[in-house]
Amino acid sequence: MNIEKELKNIILSQDQTIDTDDFINNMHAERKRRFAKKIGFLNGVSAAVFLTIFGFASMSQLTDDFAVYASNDLQPLEVMDSETEAYVYDIASYLVDTSDDIWETIIFLDEIQYEPVIAMNNRGVE
Amino acid sequence: MRTDEELIKEFQNGSEEAFNELVKRHLPDTYGFFIKFTSDPIEAEDLAQDVFIKMYKALKKFRFQSKFKTYLYRANINMSNTYFKRNKWRNLLHLDQAPEPVYMDTSNEDEWKRNELWNAVSKLPSRQRMVVTMRISDEMPYKDIAKVMGISENSAKVNYHHAVKALKDQLEN
Repeated sequence: MNIEKELKNIILSQDQTIDTDDFINNMHAERKRRFAKKIGFLNGVSAAVFLTIFGFASMSQLTDDFAVYASNDLQPLEVMDSETEAYVYDIASYLVDTSDDIWETIIFLDEIQYEPVIAMNNRGVE
Repeated sequence: MRTDEELIKEFQNGSEEAFNELVKRHLPDTYGFFIKFTSDPIEAEDLAQDVFIKMYKALKKFRFQSKFKTYLYRANINMSNTYFKRNKWRNLLHLDQAPEPVYMDTSNEDEWKRNELWNAVSKLPSRQRMVVTMRISDEMPYKDIAKVMGISENSAKVNYHHAVKALKDQLEN
């Protein structure tokens, strides 16, 4: 069996032609498709890398001290109300004591409807 | 008529038309090269397409250290090696599900012989396979084969004779 001759005969029988214009159009379309696919892949990888770095950087900023994120010196509402009332009462007494014209101060307190001072004043009048 | 090198320079300066001209000029040889392996026009076209898409990228950095024809030929040889390897795995994994013919249809005798021969060629060591491919399919002189493969002329001859002997042994067995 003459291998070289056999191969040559078979090879010669394989000659075919191809439409070059179609080939070129198909080739550029395929090249663009592959390029778009590659860009899509690279964008995906870049986004994943960015999110990983950003997420890691964000996580590393967190601290174990919860006081950074929330106030821990809150008081019960009742305590706050009584403290506020005492403070306003002191202010009212101070205004009454230090005013040149006590009646103007009383009218002011009446306008803001501060009952304890009015009552105190009334008791004093009686 | 512009030379290959002039077309490559134009392509490097941004002319896609120059690249298309190069493709038109070398497509018949490249396609002819692959059709000899595959005898399947679609597969041959795909292989030629892969080669020219690679060329599109590679030619932007082409440094004119060798002739374009030699460069393209090397790319064809590499692509045919890839094709052989892929087919080897395909055969090993039985991905080609076509049943074995019970009788030999004489109208397909050439097809059968071609398959047998290329199957035997695909089993050759890579260097022998490349030499035999170039020698038989393109009738290249040993001098050119040596140049393309970067080996001596004598080495090309020895590889060719080893390959032919191995093919004979395989087919006779």
